[in-house]
Amino acid sequence: MAKSYLRFWGVRGSYAAPFPTHLKVGGNTSCVEVNVDDHVLICDAGTGIIPLGNRLAAEAKNKELLILLTHYHWDHICGLPFFVPAFIPDWHINFFGPGESIQEMKQKLDSQMQAPYFPVGTETWMAKINYVNPRETKLSHGPIEISYYSVHHPGVTYGYKIKAGSKTIIYVSDNECQFLDKSIKQKMTEFSEEEQIMFEDMNREEYGYELETIRAADILIHDAQYTPEDYETKRGWGHSCYVDVVNYAIDAGVKDLYLYHHDPYNDDNAIDKIYEKCLEILQERDTSLRCHIAREGLEIPLD
Amino acid sequence: MGDSKKTVVVVDDNATVRALFERSTEDLTLDLISFSSAEAAMEYLGENKPDLLFLDIIMPDKDGLTFLSELRKLPLHRDTAVIMITSKDYAQDRTVANELGALEFITKPMPMRAISDIITNHINNDNPYN
Repeated sequence: MAKSYLRFWGVRGSYAAPFPTHLKVGGNTSCVEVNVDDHVLICDAGTGIIPLGNRLAAEAKNKELLILLTHYHWDHICGLPFFVPAFIPDWHINFFGPGESIQEMKQKLDSQMQAPYFPVGTETWMAKINYVNPRETKLSHGPIEISYYSVHHPGVTYGYKIKAGSKTIIYVSDNECQFLDKSIKQKMTEFSEEEQIMFEDMNREEYGYELETIRAADILIHDAQYTPEDYETKRGWGHSCYVDVVNYAIDAGVKDLYLYHHDPYNDDNAIDKIYEKCLEILQERDTSLRCHIAREGLEIPLD
Repeated sequence: MGDSKKTVVVVDDNATVRALFERSTEDLTLDLISFSSAEAAMEYLGENKPDLLFLDIIMPDKDGLTFLSELRKLPLHRDTAVIMITSKDYAQDRTVANELGALEFITKPMPMRAISDIITNHINNDNPYN
């Protein structure tokens, strides 16, 4: 039986950062491979999907793939025009992502491969392309089971819960943690005592729901784009501060957290410092959570 | 404008938000109907047209923007007055909501007075689509 694993192919948010100062972490944008007995599930299609596609085409094992898209911002789809298996006739590629209809999903992917932005369209894809009905609430790909939920990011954006091998993986590439909490704290003095009590209840309820979505996950891959200093000026841009993410994972009893969707502005040294700060939080909170930096090429066994 | 009581519908999975609307409208003469899920709300809206509909965006069973898009496809709801209520304060969401004909986009937390004022304002005026 083939091995089962998860591998990071792209870990950056916003834009690719192939700079010498960034290569320990990696420069490609969002893409994660979940491989269970050669059933290949791909989370997002940023530039990381390009080297993954090259490897898949070279190996030519299981030629049916499922690509899950969290949303259609360019750092999550911009690798597709260069995804080699799409251009090979006997491959079969299934897409799933937010949308009301198959036509809407197709249109969203087609539109980045149109003049004047790209020389050839998706009609040049020779693989069999299938768009999974976006109204499906549960999906499967071989032995892998998938469900999804809406997260806090501009436009309709999904987080995915993936059961693969013996592990539960939560993939949340883009999500602004605890946004309501901050909104309430910011305006608290403007409210009556009764409203303050109600808003605290509202916040507790909202956070409780967010915790339930990731409760006791084996692996949480989560947006951690900003430092506290970044977040001062970028609140409302749809991404999380790593401090909030670590606390969120601890509160939910997650086993392993992978900080993901790194800001391309942050070089390897900056991300090392983020990691050190995360370790301090783990120590302060005396938790069993293990925290990791998602980096290109990192492979996690799923057996 | 008829003499019958106006109907206001709130769709939000957060029980405290629904309670906040109850409390905010205690002194108003209207029927307030709340739903905790998109599915239950859609079942009701399949046959009923409220005077005003408040709609959350992040809900467990369906996001509010997709819900509104589906709602607009029903002939009964092409012109239903809809206001988004959400913690998602993003320009992209505002744009989509606007394109789908939402009248307003208000962000949580919203004070009780603001809720009652918005409702009073909308149900005392004819639907601007009419």
